[in-house]
Amino acid sequence: MFLALAEMRRAKARFGMLIVSIALLVFLILYQQSLRNGLLNSFIGAITTQSAPVLVYSVDGQRVIQGSVITPDAEALVASAEGVGEMGRLAQGTFSVTTSEGAFDASLIGYERPSLGAPETLTEGRLPAGPDEAVASDVDAADGFDIGDVVTVQPGGLEIEVVGLAKDAQLNAGPTLFVTYPTYLDAVVAQNPDAGEPPPNVIALAPADGVSDAELVANVNAQSDDLDALTKDDAARETPGVSQIQSSFLIIFALYALVVPCITGLFFLIVTFQKAAALTLLRAVGAPARRLVGALLIQATAILGLGYLLGVLLYAPVSQQRLGGIALSFETTAVVVWALILGAGGLLSSLFAARRVLRIDPIRATTGAGVGA
Amino acid sequence: MNDRPIALDMRDVRKVYRVGDSDIVALDHATLSVERSEMVALVGPSGSGKTTLCSIAGGILSPTEGRIVVGGEDITGHSESQLTSFRQRKVGFVFQSVNLVPFLTARENLLVVDELGRRTGAAARERADELLDDLGLTDRSKNLPSQLSGGQRQRVAIGRALMNDPELVLFDEPTSALDTELGAQVMELIRSEVTSSNTAAIVVTHDERITDYCDRSVNIVDGKLQAA
Amino acid sequence: MRLALRELVRRPARFVTATLILTVIAILLMFLGGLLDGLIRSTTGAVRAQDADLIVYSDTSQASFLRSRIDPATRAVVEEVPGVFEVGGIGVVQLGARVPGNGPRDLANVALFGYELTPDGVPDPPAPGTAWADEVLRDDGVEEGQTIALGPARSPITVAGFVEDTSYLGQGGLWAEPATWRAVLARNRPDARLGPGVFQALVVRVEGASPGEVAGAIDAATGSTETLTVDAAISELPGVEEQQSTFNQIIGVTVVVALVVIALFFALLTVERTALYGVLKALGARSRTLFLGLVVQAVILTAIASAVGAGMVLVIDRLIPPGSIPLYVAPSRLVLSAVLLVLAAIVGCAFSLRRVLRVDPASALGSSS
Repeated sequence: MFLALAEMRRAKARFGMLIVSIALLVFLILYQQSLRNGLLNSFIGAITTQSAPVLVYSVDGQRVIQGSVITPDAEALVASAEGVGEMGRLAQGTFSVTTSEGAFDASLIGYERPSLGAPETLTEGRLPAGPDEAVASDVDAADGFDIGDVVTVQPGGLEIEVVGLAKDAQLNAGPTLFVTYPTYLDAVVAQNPDAGEPPPNVIALAPADGVSDAELVANVNAQSDDLDALTKDDAARETPGVSQIQSSFLIIFALYALVVPCITGLFFLIVTFQKAAALTLLRAVGAPARRLVGALLIQATAILGLGYLLGVLLYAPVSQQRLGGIALSFETTAVVVWALILGAGGLLSSLFAARRVLRIDPIRATTGAGVGA
Repeated sequence: MNDRPIALDMRDVRKVYRVGDSDIVALDHATLSVERSEMVALVGPSGSGKTTLCSIAGGILSPTEGRIVVGGEDITGHSESQLTSFRQRKVGFVFQSVNLVPFLTARENLLVVDELGRRTGAAARERADELLDDLGLTDRSKNLPSQLSGGQRQRVAIGRALMNDPELVLFDEPTSALDTELGAQVMELIRSEVTSSNTAAIVVTHDERITDYCDRSVNIVDGKLQAA
Repeated sequence: MRLALRELVRRPARFVTATLILTVIAILLMFLGGLLDGLIRSTTGAVRAQDADLIVYSDTSQASFLRSRIDPATRAVVEEVPGVFEVGGIGVVQLGARVPGNGPRDLANVALFGYELTPDGVPDPPAPGTAWADEVLRDDGVEEGQTIALGPARSPITVAGFVEDTSYLGQGGLWAEPATWRAVLARNRPDARLGPGVFQALVVRVEGASPGEVAGAIDAATGSTETLTVDAAISELPGVEEQQSTFNQIIGVTVVVALVVIALFFALLTVERTALYGVLKALGARSRTLFLGLVVQAVILTAIASAVGAGMVLVIDRLIPPGSIPLYVAPSRLVLSAVLLVLAAIVGCAFSLRRVLRVDPASALGSSS
């Protein structure tokens, strides 16, 4: 212990640089983890947050709520499918809105039944009780979407009051408002007085007693090739772009996860190489190889720990920021999981250096030839 | 003294190091002349100032006071870069720990000297082969230092020191890492090379046996020179 | 210099680990850059392709084609604004397309444009009922001469040929004459139906005036439009700015990591070589020569890492199934990443400069005495 820490104190710049590079990598990994989760949440948060267990799109909608259109015929086919317990319409559109803070593109989601489409849990406030009320995504509260704020649909000037907030409730990386179906229709008409009643975009379903979500999905899809029923988790996962985001980040994370152990391994290998003479001497005066390897592992642990801590400290303030419509958050699970992955990888790689220490022959101290010779 | 030309002329050289609040005199009014083909043993205990004297004579260190002329060039007031160029042209070193470049072959270790200075190319290659031949290393010229014995490495170092046809060669404990027999062989080789190349040499040692191979010995104690 | 090269050749083993790390970092940089390029390309292609100076939207549309409407009267006003040389209507509808041979639920994402002024690389509008298709639609099985069915109304469109880099918001571009687009829009998106002569936006070519001033003049003349330069219109597409700034930050920090790796590696290497440098300096080597050797080594390592990294990214590009990751590997991106890495290597080396300068040739002579 004494040996390990004394050396680190003496060679501050060297160990400092390693700690900084690990910290930067940890910061990058965690930041991108937040970014990935923020991206996914902001694109599909509303789908997982809403209460309906099964959603039925039109195949033409390509699993985008706004792109899907349910014709009356299709709606009748869904209603006649076996195992349907509850059924309600969902509609969604992007509207230009203004708040006290400025102009925004907001998604309005209109639901017929609160149990099929409203947010499952609220962080604050209540669900709309009447017309022209909404639950908003909580991350947008500061942009004029807080409880009590009034959001105006442009053009047309329909005013909607925010009465509740929900977490992870964004769609399309922008402010999202959950409103009752009639309020949604009002917004459509306010924006375009000539528009007739738009068809619903999606049909929200709950299975009858004794029917599973998957069975209901299969039953609905069997009704027609134009119907695309999905459980809500599948609907989120299958939203265009989601799997691309996930596989892109997977590759990025894998590469970063490779770099950290490589850097630690390289560092200790070189340091061990450099101190070969000193290590040989220590072995000659009776230091057991175990002790020297122990010292090396203590250093590796200390460096990885400090680097990780510094990385998390860099990450913490950044994780509270917003990137355009995407709200980042501090990902505690990611911090823990990556600590384990990088810690294990880093320590494993430093074992390469340990192997070198174990190979040192103390007799060489007497002949003047170090390990490096 | 005879009338052979003077290769090294040091007059009243002082070197004072400032350590903390006190001054340490490493070299105290040292005066030393070495002629071409002459080999001088510089004998003294550890800390007596041998290395300082060699460093100043070889243009690695600048003196605090005094005057140094090597091969007719007064280097007393030389700047660092002038000293660098001076070392390239006029001095050869053989270090205690040999210090060959580990990833270069014996021949390339000689050619390094040419690469560091103004390159002569073919002439340098010819010179290296000639020296390797003189030193009995022709069949070892393509070996890396790790493939050579201690004596062979020391011979390569001697060849490297002579590559630039120096006015002065400085040997720092050239046989300290060798056994008695090998040490004797190396000293004989140094003796003959110094004579044949008509260069001046200072051999730093605290091994009295080495003085037998030299023309004369100079003792150094506490920075002061005394004729042996 | 030659010494540095010889060391690389004779002792490659000691440089392997650092080169491997740099290679992984190079792959990261190029992959991140490729993702950014792919995302931007698939999002902005259609707008970037516009061979025009300005795009005119209606003022409440937040620069979205979908929500913008320009009627013939507004268009007439725009055409009269001084500096306006040519005006063309444009509109788009995003739909799923049924491609012959694909499964009934396996639709291709398309963005059907109706256009008047030809964008870069897109020929004049083809015959009614036909469209030029973007190359990316080949991945969905689209072929020349084929008739695909668009949207819930199954509107038939025959592919007249292929064009490149015209995707819009991740969907493959289809380019048709305005009446074809208007008919498909009306049948598949009745709520977004547009009357004859009405477009979603106008593209404007400017002559003899600055586009910025003409944009202001257009908005002042119509009182109901928001006119943007093409570049500004690209930035206004959803996600473009966020993607660019985020990826560039990540790329920037990754370059800093590369710099630190190089700095660390060469600092350690320099410490290790202190004795050798002392000897070489005693023999007459200048600090400049020794430092230059370091830089040469660093540049060669990063160049090798970049070359291997570029090769790997090209392999990744080949291996990933089309459409699974929006990776676009452009030679310019690979070169830019390599240049960034080499610069980082040079800067990283600079940290060792002080140490090289400080090596004392006197250290070569027995410092014990």
